[in-house]
Amino acid sequence: MKIHAFIPLATLIARLSIAGTFISAALPKIKAPTEFAVSIEGFELIHSPLVHWVALLLPWLELIIGIGLIVPMIRKVSGALIAGLLILFIGLHASAWQRGLDISCGCFGTEAEPTTNYSLLILRNLLLLAATCFVLFRDLKANRATSKIAI
Amino acid sequence: MALLIKELTLICVLTLLGASFSIFSGLTQPPWSASELEAGEIHQVDAEVINPIWVDARPEVDYETAHIEGALSLNDSNWDSQIFDLMGAWLESPQPIVVYCSSASCDTSKQIAERLRMDLPDAEIYSLHGGWQP
Repeated sequence: MKIHAFIPLATLIARLSIAGTFISAALPKIKAPTEFAVSIEGFELIHSPLVHWVALLLPWLELIIGIGLIVPMIRKVSGALIAGLLILFIGLHASAWQRGLDISCGCFGTEAEPTTNYSLLILRNLLLLAATCFVLFRDLKANRATSKIAI
Repeated sequence: MALLIKELTLICVLTLLGASFSIFSGLTQPPWSASELEAGEIHQVDAEVINPIWVDARPEVDYETAHIEGALSLNDSNWDSQIFDLMGAWLESPQPIVVYCSSASCDTSKQIAERLRMDLPDAEIYSLHGGWQP
């Protein structure tokens, strides 16, 4: 069997994994925005009142684009936004690591671990970014094929 | 291109609807009200970052029911017995002190913070903006 036969299955697994990660990251932060705001402040890049806006809007954006990645109508833009957010998160974690900040990631809301393992976190986000790019590429390719058929 | 803008708009609208739900259901206070600090007040988010000594200015019965972890009870009725515990904690570890009561409308935390400033003039003392609910 050719490797091409597995690509749709790999795309589906990648899509569901990314969506699941973003949805499960968003829900605890929606339930406890104050704790998430504390985590954001820990990065020492933005402060009140901007931090309250980010703590309010970012979890909802994560939830919508997480669900959006499995909804055909908005999955292309959702994929692009997820990729953009992952690049932002990688940059933020690299910056905190470089500054030697001893903070909690806040990625999944209130976390038990007091500090962040930056290398593991950046690696995880790089893997998610690679998976997102793969899914996005497949969606764009499928879109082009549909357009050609329509023509 | 128009389709992508339409998708982006839909995502933004859904995000704003979700954020509105958070505000109107009471999950969070509106960010625009978070900036209205009076002198000597601090937001909970900022207070948690500085890892303060928490002082619970509510009645002792409320303190017994629930309080912020590690908080000391201090109000007008137990002042004489509790003030030394607080002074001891502050002398042992001179961190900022944050006093809280139960809501934005309660005034006790400001009064207790004011009284504390007289007894501990070298301490950094705040009252918690918006109060604390279990």
